[in-house]
This record gives sequence, structure tokens and C-alpha cells, in this order.
Amino acid sequence: MTDFKRLLQLLSASKVDFILVGGMAATVHGASRLTQDLDVVYSRARANLERLVAALAPYQPYLRGAPPGLPFRWNAETLERGLNFTLTTTLGDLDLLGEITGGGGYDDLVSRSSLIEVFGEDCRCLDLVTLIQVKRAAGRPRDLESIAELEALLEEQRRFGPPDP
Amino acid sequence: MRDKDLPLAPDPVVELYKRDVDRTLLRQNLTRSVDERILNLMELQRFAEELRRAGQRSREQRR
Repeated sequence: MTDFKRLLQLLSASKVDFILVGGMAATVHGASRLTQDLDVVYSRARANLERLVAALAPYQPYLRGAPPGLPFRWNAETLERGLNFTLTTTLGDLDLLGEITGGGGYDDLVSRSSLIEVFGEDCRCLDLVTLIQVKRAAGRPRDLESIAELEALLEEQRRFGPPDP
Repeated sequence: MRDKDLPLAPDPVVELYKRDVDRTLLRQNLTRSVDERILNLMELQRFAEELRRAGQRSREQRR
């Protein structure tokens, strides 16, 4: 199980620049579907990679699904050499995405995100329309139900006009 | 720009899937705060895990 609350508090309190995407962003917008991991698009700036490494180091990040004992080094150089990392941590599963299909990286998406307060900390969440657009762009059949729910959510928001999160 | 100001062209396949969406759940969620939505998700996750374990125990007992 993923401790979403602690992971979000950890990243935000550590001043990591990231944007919530995927299932958690959908939950923030009001979706009801179950998600198992936390997906974030992170800034690739060197200082941010160092903050990310320092924040997660105590929680034993490791490549999800990889056999134990691989020479995986959790440091900024590793993050710099790669782009997208699907990780397990002692707080649960975390996907660190340098880029997402149809959306690009942190700098491309930051203007299409909103600042929200979660458990007393500020963090960025991808806006609902962009979330739908990137899920459409990914073109995965398994996302069809999720896209339908997000579009229904958008219609409900338009109909009843609650404030954006 | 806010979400509701942006255009989004309908997709006929998604429109079909949309018929099966339970909008009462969405309306209920929209009355909740963001923190409540996340805590609710974590509660669901715990419940799903308990169900998975119960199913596993049941299969083991039948062997």
C-alpha cells in the first residue's frame, strides 16, 4: 500500500518541484477510481534532483520489479542519466516522470497546473483538462474508463461550478 | 486559464464509456476537500488490500 499522505507531505516539505499527474491528480480533482501509486512529473533542474534524492533517501528507493541486489545508486547523477523511474519505497510506489506523453516535462506543464494545499503543504496538480489530454495522448485502451470518468467530472464541475482544487 | 474555459473535442468511444460512469460518486467527491479525497482513496486502498488477502486465505484453505 502507498502512504500517499506521507509521500506528498515529504516531497512538498522538502521543496521538491513536482506536479501531480495520473491517478492521484484524478483523485484530487474528484475521481473515484482506485490508484496504487503516486505519479509525479519532476523538475530536472540539478538543485531539484538533489532535493529529491535527499528527501527520498531514507525511504530506500529502488527500481520496482527489478531483482534485488542490482547496483542501483540513488543519487542525482542516476536521475540525470535517466528520465522516468518507477520506484518502490518504504512509503509505497512512486513514479518519477521526467516527461509524459502529450504533455512534456515539468517546465512545459507548470503553467497547466494549479497550486493546491494538501495536508498543510502546497503542491502542484495538473489541471483537469490537461490530465484528460495527456491520457488521451497516451492512447492506452486501459485508460478509456478513466478518461470517461474524468470527462464526466469536468461536465459535473461545469454544471455545478465548484472551485478548481 | 481555468479548466472550464478550455475546449475539449468529444471522442465517440469515450462518450460510450461515459454512459457507465457513476456520477453520484463524483458529485459526492466534489463535496469533499482535497485532503478528504486522498484519505478516502487510502481507505479504499486498505479495503482492497484486505479483500485481496481474504481471497488469498480462502484459496489456500480450499487447497
